[in-house]
Amino acid sequence: MASTIPKARIAFFDFTCCEGCQLAVADALQTHLDLLEAVEIVNFREVMSEKSDDYMIAFVEGSCTRMSDEARLKVIRENAQILVALGACAHIGGVNAIRTGLDIAGVRRYVYGEKAMFFETDSARPIDAVVPVDAYIPGCPIDLDEFVRTVKALLLGRIPILHDYPVCVECKMKENVCLYTIDKTCLGPITRAGCGAICPTFGVGCEGCRGLISNPNIRSLKEVFSENGFDEKTLMEKMKIFLSYQTMESES
Amino acid sequence: MNRRGYGEFEMTFKIIPKSVLAEWFDALNRDYRVLGPKPKAGQFIFDEIQTIEDVDLEYPTTILPPKKVLLPTKEVLFSFDANESQFEPQIEAVPVIILGIHTCDMHAIALLDHVFSSGYPDQHYLARRTKTTLISIECLKPCSEHAFCKDTGTLSVTEEFDLHLTDLGEDYAVDIGSEKGELIMANAPGVREAEIDDYQRLETVMSQKWARFPYRLNFDVSELPSLLSVSYDSILWKILGTKCMGCGSCTVVCPTCYCFDVVDEIDFSLETGERIRVWDSCQLNMFATVADGHNFRESHGARVRHRFFRKGKYLASAYGQRGCVGCGRCAQACLAHITPIETFNELYRRQFLTVYEPRGTMP
Repeated sequence: MASTIPKARIAFFDFTCCEGCQLAVADALQTHLDLLEAVEIVNFREVMSEKSDDYMIAFVEGSCTRMSDEARLKVIRENAQILVALGACAHIGGVNAIRTGLDIAGVRRYVYGEKAMFFETDSARPIDAVVPVDAYIPGCPIDLDEFVRTVKALLLGRIPILHDYPVCVECKMKENVCLYTIDKTCLGPITRAGCGAICPTFGVGCEGCRGLISNPNIRSLKEVFSENGFDEKTLMEKMKIFLSYQTMESES
Repeated sequence: MNRRGYGEFEMTFKIIPKSVLAEWFDALNRDYRVLGPKPKAGQFIFDEIQTIEDVDLEYPTTILPPKKVLLPTKEVLFSFDANESQFEPQIEAVPVIILGIHTCDMHAIALLDHVFSSGYPDQHYLARRTKTTLISIECLKPCSEHAFCKDTGTLSVTEEFDLHLTDLGEDYAVDIGSEKGELIMANAPGVREAEIDDYQRLETVMSQKWARFPYRLNFDVSELPSLLSVSYDSILWKILGTKCMGCGSCTVVCPTCYCFDVVDEIDFSLETGERIRVWDSCQLNMFATVADGHNFRESHGARVRHRFFRKGKYLASAYGQRGCVGCGRCAQACLAHITPIETFNELYRRQFLTVYEPRGTMP
């Protein structure tokens, strides 16, 4: 029955990132063998040499950090019926966006020293700052099961719905002891769930890699920080790691 | 069931020495999945009990209430084959004993029983509930600064217990509440009938208990529904809304919150899959979002109000039992310190302010 339907052709592309999310996808291909029965991968630099521009779904990892990225991204958008942002860099700018608001020429000199002139760079932006995006798979790295769920939803013709509630929900359901009760900080109360609270479960405070929920109460979290002996600066520094672009956007 | 009888009445208590508990647990573990309060990083959770060393029956409270056993955070309702239009209910239930349930949580289970057997009886809940044996324990001292069970009238056990334990020092007094309870007591080692001395010990323990618990509400809890009714437009909800982060911890840890969402998980065939039930919460963004994206409880303040109305008024109207059992877990879990005791007391205080001060001049 299913074999008579042509497989959906999918492709993977990367911009500024560590390619860890594609590595996670490569991992998912090993644990979810039925994935390959449902889709045909036609472009995936990390796992194959063949390349094709004929694809239905494009997964894009990485943020847009150079003017030249924009043209390439627009071509992918043209070719694909569905464009998916894969991972934190494509979704919210990721760690690359720490340079948001800084002097870009200065950043370039700091990173590349006297060779700075040879390296093109600009502010780091999520891909939806350049082209329309149909679906998002947040996280640094992405959650394998969420990737699989997303593919299934897209094959069914649905846009996968992201949880719009904080990590605390999943953390409490796992019966984790709240990290604030053991003198640690955590961005769980303002960060989008879906990761199964994996970091707090292993005793590490949430870093916000899945981005802000749609109505984060940052003012209240500041209070929580100060009550627990951490100042506002600590919160702002923590929020810089993954949330720089979103914070800048919500302030402007 | 004749309970607490003494003197000329039938004596129904048994006595089980603490020294035989290890042996008893071993026996129970052969036939049941035994869950009890177990330490976790300075707090407690209901978890698998293999040996007596695992359990601490003097625990203060647990992160999640026993509802997680009867209504798992995630469960399969049925599997389906959309192509063949076939549906197969997945009703899973193994014999479980929940050990050491505090009386507030027993009241909560009584409410959940009522909710899930009313209207369309919930087969999944009821199948699990039928296979669950409840061993409650008498609370002899306050467990948390946030608990107000004396106010909410949940400081003594409900009739849902199968066994009810009271700590007498070296022994537990055991009240048998059902045939399920009788069954597991029948196999318990070292059990004897209570004697006059035991009743006197029990009476001493029970008479000393009451005074240890403080009242924490500044008014009688029976006034709560009407207090909430007149406080619907209180500015306090707005104030609490600025503090609330919408993290839903309060409802996740609440022993009586039972709202759920239903989602489908499909296979790559895109034809077969499972329908799943997961916990939901009125504090979350999508909960009151309807078609076309409208959210009829948009602000945190409106959601906080809704939760307190559920706990103090709505469930009492619908099921004759208050939604709040005074366990204090929501207050413990709230990073923004939104607590039922302070909220209800503040509403009570403001009720008088509104008499003397025109609205709008309140802080």
